[in-house]
Amino acid sequence: MRNIIVTGGSRGLGLGIAERLATDGFQVIAIARSQTEVFDAAAQRVKAAGRGALQFHAADLADIEAIPALVKAIRKEFGALYGLVNNAGLGTGGLLSGMNDAAMAQLLRLNIHSPIALTKYVTRTMMTQKGGRIVNISSIVASNGFNALSVYSATKAALVGFTKSLARELGPLEITVNAVAPGFVDTELTSGLGEAGYDKIVRRSALRRMAEVEDVGSAVAFLFSDGARNITGTVVTVDAGNTA
Amino acid sequence: MTSRMADNTEPSVRSTILDEIHRIAALHNKQLAPLTDALPLMESGLDSLCVAVLVASLDDALELDPFAEDENLAFPVTLGDFIQLYENAAA
Ligand SMILES: NC(=O)c1ccc[n+]([C@@H]2O[C@H](COP(=O)([O-])OP(=O)(O)OC[C@H]3O[C@@H](n4cnc5c(N)ncnc54)[C@H](OP(=O)(O)O)[C@@H]3O)[C@@H](O)[C@H]2O)c1
Repeated sequence: MRNIIVTGGSRGLGLGIAERLATDGFQVIAIARSQTEVFDAAAQRVKAAGRGALQFHAADLADIEAIPALVKAIRKEFGALYGLVNNAGLGTGGLLSGMNDAAMAQLLRLNIHSPIALTKYVTRTMMTQKGGRIVNISSIVASNGFNALSVYSATKAALVGFTKSLARELGPLEITVNAVAPGFVDTELTSGLGEAGYDKIVRRSALRRMAEVEDVGSAVAFLFSDGARNITGTVVTVDAGNTA
Repeated sequence: MTSRMADNTEPSVRSTILDEIHRIAALHNKQLAPLTDALPLMESGLDSLCVAVLVASLDDALELDPFAEDENLAFPVTLGDFIQLYENAAA
């Protein structure tokens, strides 16, 4: 079974992505600080379906110095790595002028530095086997402004730049690198949105609804399918037409 | 230059490096120059991406990455310097 790491795979979008990839027959190693009941339930469903596997590996990705050892430990336990989904992220919002500096640093660290460092060590293992796939979870706010999300938007735009240049670097090794940009999806990260915010997003979306966790899972699953072998360096938007 | 084998049955650092260079060159369809210690790495036939693959493979094969361990390390110019660096790290 091919191994894929999904960061932030314990809940929200990451869990949806992890369950979908496992259902498609991959062995998914979900990384988060703590295991959740919803994760356990998903792992049971995957087991019952009898194809892939959904595993959990606890780690704090904000601890960047521990990332090389983390990748080594995962490889030792599960074997060679075929894929990486950089999904873990914080959604810290607020007006820039009032943003707490420590919170800002933590946001930049978890949303930019950790996925880049993790990708470095995971691609080193992919390089030796010539082949692999990387998907970075960006957001529509990387390209469309949203009030009080400037720093978060900067982190999500950073991942798009990273995706495109890394796709060029790793193309000769048959490693593809793509990004998925979800619109607003109902998860804990967006729980601060409120009903008025929710209604506004729905009204502005071409399809008059929000994208769902499963839709993001499908987009990532496509990027891991044989059909996506010639797709690299691109951004797939999943937003029910919010930015159309 | 011939590869010196160590006394024990473990392949030496040198022979592991040379084997990896041949394997990576074949995998990436690169024509190798004769591998002497004086050969500048960048003239070996491996491009910078292949050298990156070599460093990653040696991390697997020898469990050594001298570049990660020393931030100030200058990248060695010749193949001999490169091998020496790994031999020192292994010692
Ligand atoms: N929801 C949306 O509308 C939306 C839209 C566009 C993009 N996105 C992006 O999608 C990704 C997932 O968002 P989400 O809505 O699913 O978020 P979420 O529900 O808040 O889940 C975040 C996940 O990341 C993990 N995580 C957080 N801090 C971590 C750390 N220090 N180390 C390891 N894991 C950590 C969490 O587990 P632990 O807390 O246990 O560590 C959890 O599994 C993010 O990158 C976000 O920017 C979301």
